[in-house]
Formats: sequence, C-alpha cells, structure tokens
Amino acid sequence: MNLFGMLELSGSALHAERQRAEVVASNMANAQTTRTPAGGPYRRQLVVFQAQRVPRFSLALAGLQRENSSAVRVAAVVSDQRPSVLRFEPGHPDADAKGYVAYPQVDPIEEMTDLLGAVRAYELNASAVQATKNMITQSLSLLQ
Amino acid sequence: MSLIDTPLMRGLERVMDLSAFRHQVIASNLANIDTPGYRTRDVRAFAGEIEQAMNGGQAMFGEPSLSQISLSQPSHVQPWFAPVSHPIRGLLERPDGNNVSVERESLLLAENQLRFTVAAQFMKGEFHKLTSAITLGGSSS
Repeated sequence: MNLFGMLELSGSALHAERQRAEVVASNMANAQTTRTPAGGPYRRQLVVFQAQRVPRFSLALAGLQRENSSAVRVAAVVSDQRPSVLRFEPGHPDADAKGYVAYPQVDPIEEMTDLLGAVRAYELNASAVQATKNMITQSLSLLQ
Repeated sequence: MSLIDTPLMRGLERVMDLSAFRHQVIASNLANIDTPGYRTRDVRAFAGEIEQAMNGGQAMFGEPSLSQISLSQPSHVQPWFAPVSHPIRGLLERPDGNNVSVERESLLLAENQLRFTVAAQFMKGEFHKLTSAITLGGSSS
C-alpha cells in the first residue's frame, strides 16, 4: 500500500477546490465588467470537476485495471450561457443604440454559496491530509 | 515460525495494509465530494476482508495466484492479497448524481485512523519486546 499516494489524492482535491474558489473570486471581481478581450460583457465562469482514476502499479503489472480510488481534476472552465442583464444607462460608453448596457449575469448570493462550498470541501480534504500524515508518522515510529 | 514472523505480527501487518487501503478509498471519496455523478466506494464488509486476509489470503479478485507462479521456495513468498473497493448502495443521492456523505466519510476516516494506530502500537510493542530480549541477553544491564 502506498501511504504517500493518498497525499497526492487529497492534494488533487485541494488543488481543484482552490481553483474553484479562484474562479468564484474572478466572477465577483468582474461582476460589473462590460469590456472583455473577446468583446461584450464578462461571462460568469464555472468549473467542471471530473473523477480521474489513479493507476496502481501492482495491478498494471498484473495486466489489470481496476477503479479503486480516483483523484479529482478540473476538466474544464466553461462560461455561463445565461443572457446578460440589461440596464438602462444612456450615458455609459458601452451603451447600445437604445441606451441599454449589458452587464454580466453574476449573482453575489450564488457566488458566495459556491465559495463557501469550496472552502468547506477544502477544509475537509485538508483534514484528510492530516489523518494521512498521522498514519505515516505512526508507521515511521515503528522504526524507533 | 520465526522470532519476527509470528501469526500476531502477520495479522497486524494485514490490518495496517487494509487500513491504509481503506484510507485511500475514503480519501478518494472525500476528494470527489463535488464531482457530479461520483459514487461512494468502500471496502466491502471490512471485518470480513480482514478475516479473509488472515486466513491465508488466497488469490482474490484476479491477482495472480500462488499456483500460477512456480516457486523454488513457496514459504519465502507471502500470499497475494489485493483488496478492492466497490460502490456502496443505499446512500442518499444528490440531484447531480453524487452520493458522497461527509458525515459517513469523516467518521470512517477517524475510525480507520484509530484502527491503524492500534495495529501500529501493537506492532511497536512486539518490536520492543524483541529488542529487550536481545539486549537483556547481553553482559550489560
């Protein structure tokens, strides 16, 4: 059994959750952005998580592939396809012919909920790392 | 049976092996807590697995069995033991198809860690007994 492999596994989750929190922060920072390099208002970003199988060397050696444990990875960061919010601001430089400005569809409550979820999941996996570290320390203490 | 290779030591080794494996499965469940469609996995009937591992550990789930390998000295090789995880049924499923329960996994994580610690402490005690047997035989102390 590979105790250090578990650290890698929990580490993948820490990485993915941090990326999710980063995307949420970016969404909130750009809640009022009307100009982007691609043109038009900022589009809310979403992360897509995907389970990724960890290959076990002993099984691969025996010609077997088995789904025993899986790490997680961010498969893609996609744009929210909901339409932008139109606000009547005729004086705004980005206003259209009728005086409406397209603002990103970013809901602060939605973003905060997502952020809290990411933080909690991060904490959970951090405690799993702590447990793994304790087990490794126990194994090492056998040598004393 | 030798000084170190006692049934107790072998059993403790298996318990630690299996606990480490189960820890990996639990860590995997926790890592995928937000992955849509992920199903909770676990080692089926933990006590049963330990029993099976202690009783010779015959070839389970496709690892090569001893009979398939020609050995000059079979006693030199530990029997193969390869636990596998299975999806668990009967858990509450979220709308995104994920059925990982934080409470269940946290509890199992704590329990499993304690199990590992117990086995490690026992093994440490065995080694200490052995060490004291060696040193007491010496001229000093």
